[in-house]
Amino acid sequence: MEALRKKFSLTLPQNSIRIIRIIAALLLLALIIVRAMDVAAKSQFGADTWLRLSVSGLIIGGMYALIAIGYTLVYGILFMINFAHGEVMMIGTFGGYFVFEAFNAIQVSGADGSQLSFLNAYPVIAILLAFLAGMTIAALSGLFLEKIAYRPLRGAPRLVPLISAIGASIFLQNAGQLLFGPQRRQYINPVVLDRGIGWNLEVAGSTVVLTYTGIFSLILSAILMVGLYLLVQRTKLGRAMRAVAQDKKTAALMGINVDQIISRTFVISGALAGAAGVMWGIHNGLFNYFVGFLPGIKAFTAAVLGGIGNIPGAMLGGMFLGIVESVGPAVLGIDFQLKDVLAFTILILVLIFRPSGILGEALTEEKV
Amino acid sequence: MKKSVLFFVFVVFAMVLASCNGAAPAGGEPEVCASDEFGCAKIPAGQTVKIGMGAPLTGDYASFGVDISQGAAVAVKDAGTVEGFAFELVAQDTQGAPEGGAAVANKLATDPTVVAIAGHIFSGSTEAAIPVYDKAGIPMMSPSATNPPLTTLGSKVFNRVAFTDAVQGKFAADYLYSKLGFRKIAVLHDGGAYGQGLADVVRDEFTKLGGEVVGYEAVTPGETDYTATLSALAASSPEAVYFGGYVAEGVVLTNNMKQSGLENAVFFGCDGTFGTEFVEKTGANGEGAYAASLIPPESAEKAKFDADYLAAYGVGAGTLSPYTWSGYDSAAVLMAKVKEVAVLGSDGTLYVPRGALVAAVRGTQGFSSITGDITCDAVGECNTAGPTFYIVKGGDWAQAEQ
Repeated sequence: MEALRKKFSLTLPQNSIRIIRIIAALLLLALIIVRAMDVAAKSQFGADTWLRLSVSGLIIGGMYALIAIGYTLVYGILFMINFAHGEVMMIGTFGGYFVFEAFNAIQVSGADGSQLSFLNAYPVIAILLAFLAGMTIAALSGLFLEKIAYRPLRGAPRLVPLISAIGASIFLQNAGQLLFGPQRRQYINPVVLDRGIGWNLEVAGSTVVLTYTGIFSLILSAILMVGLYLLVQRTKLGRAMRAVAQDKKTAALMGINVDQIISRTFVISGALAGAAGVMWGIHNGLFNYFVGFLPGIKAFTAAVLGGIGNIPGAMLGGMFLGIVESVGPAVLGIDFQLKDVLAFTILILVLIFRPSGILGEALTEEKV
Repeated sequence: MKKSVLFFVFVVFAMVLASCNGAAPAGGEPEVCASDEFGCAKIPAGQTVKIGMGAPLTGDYASFGVDISQGAAVAVKDAGTVEGFAFELVAQDTQGAPEGGAAVANKLATDPTVVAIAGHIFSGSTEAAIPVYDKAGIPMMSPSATNPPLTTLGSKVFNRVAFTDAVQGKFAADYLYSKLGFRKIAVLHDGGAYGQGLADVVRDEFTKLGGEVVGYEAVTPGETDYTATLSALAASSPEAVYFGGYVAEGVVLTNNMKQSGLENAVFFGCDGTFGTEFVEKTGANGEGAYAASLIPPESAEKAKFDADYLAAYGVGAGTLSPYTWSGYDSAAVLMAKVKEVAVLGSDGTLYVPRGALVAAVRGTQGFSSITGDITCDAVGECNTAGPTFYIVKGGDWAQAEQ
């Protein structure tokens, strides 16, 4: 068999594969551009529509990015996909919801002596505490998830923790349904952060609403992302995380407590997912125990798009996916129902032409 | 030799025993069972006559299933007994899915004491269940499966008291065009059998009337942000957005319209988006939104049912879904027909000839109940009156101008 393979080389030389890939990529790009120009020539949409679509894409992209970072952090360190990450986000959504509920029930006297809920009297404190609660409970669930579902399987083949992750995901979903019921709940926002209203911009003779909740989410996710980047690049913990990601054994020899770093990674990724969950609730309102599933899958896609294991890649991937989902169908002039088809087509194309993602996997060599 | 004789005797004895088990009741079996196409359902003394129901009792759409089964349960209480046998409602969970519908149908069809089905609840689940009941000869009377083609499948057993999506779509398109005076609308649906069926009818009827449908799209059910889809629709500035689907997506669409450039368009839903959940979760955004409903006009029967329902379940009738009255009616029709055809055997067993029951239900004429007169046509459409349109005013549904 070996001899046969040597005689008749079935694979093309490396160089020509690369050339074929480049040609195919260029052709595809040309096709997309031609189609986009064709659609643009019909000028179905004005500037107002494009702005609305981009804003909606950026907001959802920010949330995808926060969740995607969790996938990427865990993958970077353990080389496993934490499929229960979406459920960690769901737990965060519930955490924030109950804080808002509680504060809405508490009545205090306002400055002018009128009775109003604590939520509207001190919205900043309420929002801070909601995020704190959502992030803490999500971080804790991330911590215990690792302790219960992944640590006992540390030495097992890579497929085993993956199955454990899927099991944990199903367990958490069902636990959520049993604990909180299957009905959809709705976030009660403080009046200052009411859903659906915002700054009105006059664009092309029509009003574009930049919702307060959306802009708030976008800014907050940007702050959290910058914070995470600084944490990983500038702090001792971050350095230890990077060291463990590069080489666990050597890191241990250098006096790093590997188990502790792994736990902390799960805490950080859980906290980010929890923040995304609270944002999801504040911006979209409706949620139930299933809320983490779709964003979880999308964020995983985003992490792979950007290059899994690569933190800036996850951020870029999330934003990119959000934009493609909302602007993509309009650019190509197809039904919005096909947005998921479009997103996953792009994922496949990226995997064909750039298997390590847009920004490349940071530590490709060690993984294999 | 001796052994084989013994064996022969044993076999004969066993056969006699077996025939005793089977044949003794046959002594009491009325003649109609032998001639009936599907034979008889046999309910031994002491057991109940079961009316089956396949309904979503858990999951996103549980409120529909729970509510309809509660309405039917009130009917069971009102129905009294047939030849001394009490009725019982057996509601099984389909989760609203076609797979669940088929599973429940198979389970109910194998129970010999289930004589009729007040359901199923959702069109997809019903479609999956019809072949099973067709084979078993169990008549259905659905309170809420409204997808038009269901009665064109040639089923002998399927009937419904719900008005069809075709009827509702036609009335809705006419209301949008003639009553509200809209000429440019967008049509959305959730891609399901019910939602898309309805949306297709509205699109076709509205175009036929002379209006223009400027957008026709599907949204992915279960999502919580449809701003992108709505923004694209806003570019062609429709006067109204018609939506065929359920309340979960209807709420999200209504909430997203104002931030998508559709602040001046009217949200026009269907009977799937009607209910208190819509008003609760849309708040101010929901003001002026329309929906269709089969909530019947006030009557003495309705008042009695509403009181019974409130007493039994602690919530007002209609707060969970608008189908509860239809749930009552479909169960009531079925039980009335069971009373007509059931025969008490001489052995104390109740015999319900299945084929005769199927024919009796299809032949229902002028059965007076809460939702009005129920008269079935040749294909099993038992309510051809149109829906009532409602509008959200001051945070509650109010009957819109007819």
